[in-house]
Amino acid sequence: MDELAEALRDLEEEKVHQLLEKKIGAGVAAVEIVRTLNEGMIAVGERFSTCEYFISQLIFSAEILKAAMKRLEPLLVGADTGLSAGKVVIGTVKGDIHDIGKNIVVTLLRGSGFEVIDLGVDVPAEKFVAAVRESGAKVVGLSALLNFTYPEMKNVVESIVGAGLKEKVRIIVGGTPVNEDVRAFTGADYYAEDAVAGMKICKEIYA
Amino acid sequence: MSEEMQKLFDERLGRYQAAIALEPTDRIPVAPGSNYFAETYGGNTNQETIYDPDKWLQGELAFAGAFPEFDVLRDNRIYGPLFDAVDLKTYKLPGRDLSPRDQFQFAESEYMLVDEYDILIHSPMEFLFDRWLPRILGEFGERGSMRSYVAFLKGGMAYMQAGQIMRNRAMVLQDRAGMPQPMAGFFLAPFDVLADAMRGLTGTLMDCYRQPDKVVAACDVLVDEMANLALATADPLKRWPVFVPTHKATFMSPQEFDRFYWPSFRKVLEIVIGAGHTVRAYLEGDWGRHWHHMLELPKGKVLCDIDNEGDIFKAKREIGHHQCLAGGVQDSNLILGSPEKVREQVKYLCETVGKDGGFIVSGGCNVPYTAKPENVRAMAEAVMEYGRYDKSVKPLPRPAPHGAIHASSFPRMVTPWSVKKAEVGGVMGDEDLIGKPWETLESMAYVWLWQWVL
Repeated sequence: MDELAEALRDLEEEKVHQLLEKKIGAGVAAVEIVRTLNEGMIAVGERFSTCEYFISQLIFSAEILKAAMKRLEPLLVGADTGLSAGKVVIGTVKGDIHDIGKNIVVTLLRGSGFEVIDLGVDVPAEKFVAAVRESGAKVVGLSALLNFTYPEMKNVVESIVGAGLKEKVRIIVGGTPVNEDVRAFTGADYYAEDAVAGMKICKEIYA
Repeated sequence: MSEEMQKLFDERLGRYQAAIALEPTDRIPVAPGSNYFAETYGGNTNQETIYDPDKWLQGELAFAGAFPEFDVLRDNRIYGPLFDAVDLKTYKLPGRDLSPRDQFQFAESEYMLVDEYDILIHSPMEFLFDRWLPRILGEFGERGSMRSYVAFLKGGMAYMQAGQIMRNRAMVLQDRAGMPQPMAGFFLAPFDVLADAMRGLTGTLMDCYRQPDKVVAACDVLVDEMANLALATADPLKRWPVFVPTHKATFMSPQEFDRFYWPSFRKVLEIVIGAGHTVRAYLEGDWGRHWHHMLELPKGKVLCDIDNEGDIFKAKREIGHHQCLAGGVQDSNLILGSPEKVREQVKYLCETVGKDGGFIVSGGCNVPYTAKPENVRAMAEAVMEYGRYDKSVKPLPRPAPHGAIHASSFPRMVTPWSVKKAEVGGVMGDEDLIGKPWETLESMAYVWLWQWVL
């Protein structure tokens, strides 16, 4: 593994920035650097899966990655990264304004090369439907913290079905109050127990 | 209170207290901390719950009548007009920012900047007045303006109103339904003070990596502040526990928890317990890697609410012999399940976690707003059927335990009487008649200033 990927995996913030500058200075293509960072994020996800890392460390890795991507942004303008692992629409359903969990998923997905359409919080069903239709994403993720949102999750699923998009998109539900019973109630295709599980489901769908 | 209600009240309170103390009871108590379901049981909206005390009380009386198996019924800590008087930014309220039937929600943001630790550490009150309060209280935003003075005046009066409403409600529930409280008063773990209403979760976690010593020092400074808040708002008769909702521990690694969260939290808990109180700690999320620390505190003093994601069976094995546990009935089961399914779950809990006492039946951390009434009924009935111990055991409410309070630290105030007395050069008559009310009002004002952390 590249030492930049390793530094990100090991959450060595300073080192990530130093190595990033070194690579940029040495003329390494930005696209190549992004690919290396993705490797590091995938390694972070693996450590989370094996309980070596906790949510706090996912959040910290996400912050390090965000800063690195910000630095790379101007260098990526116009470049065809050829990296997109697929498109994912995601949002916290209507009635709920919490986004800690959703944001972790977004960063993990972006860190693994997905193109994420993040609709934010308190997102009405029609907005999910429109985003799925416009983006052609094969996955939509519904997030929530509060347990009174079960009917709203179901409503989003039904709206997607009603819009004739069911064959085109898989629906994942996740968040604190969600479990397999809740998935069954909503009619969603998958229940993601945590952020890394959600990312893995996205990879499966696009595999 | 009628004799009948007094008897009911004593039975319920005695049962609740004995369970917390890990002592024998006649049956497993049905004693959720937060009972959202009851708040709107009268058909009132969530907005009415927090804005119309009478409608809310009627709803709760209806609940108490329909569900006499419940042993406690919590008051509602939010009084909308108080939040409005100061334009509190940390909450979204039903009917104001959300639909009238939505649940109130906490709105986290960065209300303390990354470079403000030193001022918090070295001068907490200056930090409060100059930095933090103007950001979270919209009406105090322009300090020194006419509106900012009126905001404090209104806020103080609304606080007294809220206290009156809560007291009245507790008395009515006690007199007419024989219903005790599950808890009174509140505080936070110092780390949560930072991570909830000051720096936010992401900010605080970044600080743990980037300026760890400052985070530890800030938590240490907040120990006395949180202990003061707890002692000032607790039930003076010490009948029921003081409430501490924990929020951010679930996100932390054991190493982070041990360094940043636990040491200061433990100090606050020790002060509150040392003063003769019990504590009800809502362990939000999964505390599986952290809750072994509860063994370090005196036995039977911290009632631990195990959340939906926590494994209550694991908790029973690891800490159940030392602290009482509450929870076990999954929120999703109460909302989506059937009475049969709820009954089955409660039966299993009674036979396992509740087998030898030290267990209180509750939802994950509350009874959800959208629980099906027939499922709540099934929960209560299943406890009556499967949660009995020895009928002859009748624990009585216990007298308030004595405790030691560090007189030099509490109660805290901005201007103690001694300072004022020195300024005016003494008084002519009985000093206590002047100094004591002075300090009572000072300490109330101090609590008012710190209550916004929650």
